[in-house]
Amino acid sequence: MEQNNSLPPFQGLASPQGAMTPGMPIFSPMMPYGSGLTPQPVTNTNSLSLLEEQQRQQQQQASSQQAGVPGGLGQTPQLYHSQTVTTTTLPGNTPLYTATPLTPMTPITPATPASESSGIVPQLQNIVSTVNLGCKLDLKTIALRARNAEYNPKRFAAVIMRIREPRTTALIFSSGKMVCTGAKSEEQSRLAARKYARVVQKLGFPAKFLDFKIQNMVGSCDVKFPIRLEGLVLTHQQFSSRPNFFPYFSSYEPELFPGLIYRMIKPRIVLLIFVSGKVVLTGAKVRGEIYEAFENIYPILKGFRKTT
Amino acid sequence: MAYQLYRNTTLGNSLQESLDELIQTQQITPQLALQVLLQFDKAINTALANRVRNRVNFKGSLNTYRFCDNVWTFVLNDVEFREVTDLVKVDKVKIVLPHSSTTE
Repeated sequence: MEQNNSLPPFQGLASPQGAMTPGMPIFSPMMPYGSGLTPQPVTNTNSLSLLEEQQRQQQQQASSQQAGVPGGLGQTPQLYHSQTVTTTTLPGNTPLYTATPLTPMTPITPATPASESSGIVPQLQNIVSTVNLGCKLDLKTIALRARNAEYNPKRFAAVIMRIREPRTTALIFSSGKMVCTGAKSEEQSRLAARKYARVVQKLGFPAKFLDFKIQNMVGSCDVKFPIRLEGLVLTHQQFSSRPNFFPYFSSYEPELFPGLIYRMIKPRIVLLIFVSGKVVLTGAKVRGEIYEAFENIYPILKGFRKTT
Repeated sequence: MAYQLYRNTTLGNSLQESLDELIQTQQITPQLALQVLLQFDKAINTALANRVRNRVNFKGSLNTYRFCDNVWTFVLNDVEFREVTDLVKVDKVKIVLPHSSTTE
């Protein structure tokens, strides 16, 4: 883990040296994984590193109890596909990290992995799904005869139809494909798509219901405490495994957008985190991903709770 | 070309009936009647656009809407038409709006 201190490629970036290291979504990101051989002489002097020293010592005491923690924590998001090799030592060596996502700042007791569930369940706000009706459609006929339909071919090449129950909007294309948005649950999305298909069928087209698929799910919730976004972005600025997109897991530009954008790798979810404590999660294909992502981020957020 | 929308109004219908009578009694040709109606279209459109100033508010619940060929059609239920002086209540109203602008 000599590389620990040599994070050359990433040096210039905001995080303090060594902050790159992966592993725990805690703020002492500097802990390399299995490097636990020695408390690395951390060359930087910022407070985080001192904290690390503390933690390292704690953890070394506790390390014996950490059996296979890294593996065990199904919950911890592999937030950092750390650019460095530190991860390789992961299995085996004294797992320095009590994989507990909890108790970031404090010297840790190796908590059990799934220890505190947050008790908060994100609510699904929007589901986007697509389905193929399996036949070509004449949009003008549909727009003229169906209720609650808009068709402005100069502006957009689809009929926009809405129904009241479940309250949803559908975009119907001449190829026969349809996008259904606005439902609050998977079942409602499917039901709504079926209703639209029935409307089209009643107008005389041989509509079928092929390949229904949920493409995106959006959820939101409130952690009920304010969050220090600046701190969070400082310690979580790491290269993600998709550097061509965004070199960071989290990005926070308050002048552009008041929320912090956190791109979790596993599950692949984007979270918008706001100072008020409200969190928006999006990008999921199944409901479990939203829940999992929230359980992953909750401990981190607790660590960055604003105390003033 | 102006919308022929206004031919089916009280005013437009009266005009059409009068023209039909005149055609029946051979006082004008059908071609002339057609020209009269076209002129009526232009005149009513410009008059409504330029010479009408009063304003009516209305409020109701939307039953259906449709937008096709740049024409909006709404069907409202339980509508109240309110002018400064008057109030008219109606169960069902169909509103047809030709909309020529392409910028929404």
